[in-house]
Amino acid sequence: MLMTEHTGKCLLKAHGVPVPAGVLIRKSGHVQRWSGAYPVALKAQVLSGGRGKAGGIVRASDPGQAEAAAQQLFEREFGGESPASLLMERWVEHSRELYLAVTVDGQSGGYVILYAPSGGVDVEHQAPYKYTFGSPRDFRAHELRSMLAEVEPDGALRERIVALARRLLFVATAIDAVTVEINPLAVLPDGKLLALDAKIVRDESAAFRQADLADEIERARKREPRMVAKALAGNLMMVGLDGEVGLMSGGAGMTMATMDMIADAGLKPACFLDCSSNPTPAGYQLAFDVLDAEPKVKAILVSIFGGGTQIDRVAKVMNEIMMKRKSRKPVVFRMNGTGREKADAVMRDAGLHNHPTLESAVDAVVAAARTQ
Amino acid sequence: MSVLIDAASRALIYGIAGNFGRFSARDLASYGTKVVAGVAPGRDTRDVEGVPVFQDARTACTTTGADVALVYVPAPAALDAVLEVLDAGCKVIVYPGDGLPVQDAVELRAAAWRHRAVLIGPNTPGVISPGKSKLGFMPSFCYIPGPLAVISRSGSLSYEAGWRLTMAGLGQSTVIGIGGDPVKGLNAAEAIELLHADSETKAILYLGEIGGSDEYAVARYAERPDAKPTAALIVGASAPPGKKMGHAAALVGSQADSQAAKVEALRKAGVHVADNLRNLVDTAQHAFRQCEVVTS
Repeated sequence: MLMTEHTGKCLLKAHGVPVPAGVLIRKSGHVQRWSGAYPVALKAQVLSGGRGKAGGIVRASDPGQAEAAAQQLFEREFGGESPASLLMERWVEHSRELYLAVTVDGQSGGYVILYAPSGGVDVEHQAPYKYTFGSPRDFRAHELRSMLAEVEPDGALRERIVALARRLLFVATAIDAVTVEINPLAVLPDGKLLALDAKIVRDESAAFRQADLADEIERARKREPRMVAKALAGNLMMVGLDGEVGLMSGGAGMTMATMDMIADAGLKPACFLDCSSNPTPAGYQLAFDVLDAEPKVKAILVSIFGGGTQIDRVAKVMNEIMMKRKSRKPVVFRMNGTGREKADAVMRDAGLHNHPTLESAVDAVVAAARTQ
Repeated sequence: MSVLIDAASRALIYGIAGNFGRFSARDLASYGTKVVAGVAPGRDTRDVEGVPVFQDARTACTTTGADVALVYVPAPAALDAVLEVLDAGCKVIVYPGDGLPVQDAVELRAAAWRHRAVLIGPNTPGVISPGKSKLGFMPSFCYIPGPLAVISRSGSLSYEAGWRLTMAGLGQSTVIGIGGDPVKGLNAAEAIELLHADSETKAILYLGEIGGSDEYAVARYAERPDAKPTAALIVGASAPPGKKMGHAAALVGSQADSQAAKVEALRKAGVHVADNLRNLVDTAQHAFRQCEVVTS
């Protein structure tokens, strides 16, 4: 989960990483809360990238300019997102901008430190230097130092970067972040380093041991459209999409494969809905409740290939749900996997058709959605 | 000799007293896997499905000679349980659970390397060498022995693909679920090296998805002059950018994460790439015919 700059900076500050003094502004009238000196920077708190280039950071030299800038920023959108708040900070004069990050690299299966000698908005145009070490306990400052020696002749600066990298690695492990990126990292006239921005991505899987992260996830869930929020609250994995075919599936790969087949057949899926995280009667009932209540869903495809999920049990649950269900949206079934013979018998006895292949099921649901 | 597990493998099930553990004890034994031990710390269960149950993995391994393990514990307990079976000497470990913190996955991957062991997972159905042994919970009827190896990031997609191949008579040497998480015990590049060296594998089918860089590792492999014929299916073409599609790693953040970019890179490297599930078997057969030409 990507944190806003302000949340990220609070996390950095709590772990002793220097950040500029600042306050969070939620309404344009609130710029008077700034008690520090001018000039200041007003920074739109949005999660989409490219904020700087899109004019999301404005310099203001007095309260009047700050108020005007705040009004203008609150009215704008950045990557389709309007800022819920602004970060108002002391404007920092600096001689140089660096790039420094700790991130988890899937390819090497561990943590890496990334460093670029010139940071800022165009950092993506150059490949950063990468120090790969895997487990945090295998980080060696001397290895990072010798890598930096090739690019940073200034020994004092090099030592500050090494120390900050170690600190960022500590932050990443302490708060379960998969990315802690500082860009730009300012070099101040006295040689000290200051984090002018912060991009922290926290690992949602670690919410069970990070109470503040669990709260953030809960808040984000409440901001989702009603259909998605309801499914997520019931421990189903759901992403709302724009189409007509309500897809209820098991397993991320098969859900995506089925979405792709629906798209190739000329319609769009209404959602990515993976029930494998809660394959219980309550979970499937909730999935139907959500899709039945959503007007844009014209027909429903239940497509499950069960491994750990025993499909004959799912078939029984489907039968029970179908007997009680009020909605008349057509439902197409294709269930296969562990217990499939018993499942076929259950479906037959219930008078429900279980499609033998995904192809025939997709064709049937697409045809049904088109005639609705 | 197949890769990772074979008919001689002696399996331990950690968490054998739970629902999944009991199911797997029956299911693995009926497939022919030698299930020799169970572990259930803190429970007074002595026996599950005729398998002796121990309080700790070390006693289980020294008493029964278990050398591979299937670990069924929830994510918050996974780090300690997998470290325990590594310390006990198991050389192949499957951790199927999802929701493992990335930091713990990094620790486990490093620990497996130190022990010269292989961790498969997290977020995987496991591994099966059809007709020989199975360590996981994939539905057995989906697989028959044969020359095609399968690597998959998704469990459910690997069942569907295995079933289609089996229906078409195209058997499999080993099917490895590498899992859908960003940090894996065994990643695509490492799985493909094992299968490249495996004399029973003549061709490789890779089942991938959006996000992550495993697909590019497959493309790099296919570019090698000695590469075995490779086919692939990459799902998630219809996934919107910036949304996580169930798997922790299945997210289109940049152009390189997209299905289209991955398919292009794979095709450029000479991989036979299916358009969608409809022509998966045909595509695998194309790759397979290529290896018949090479060997004849």
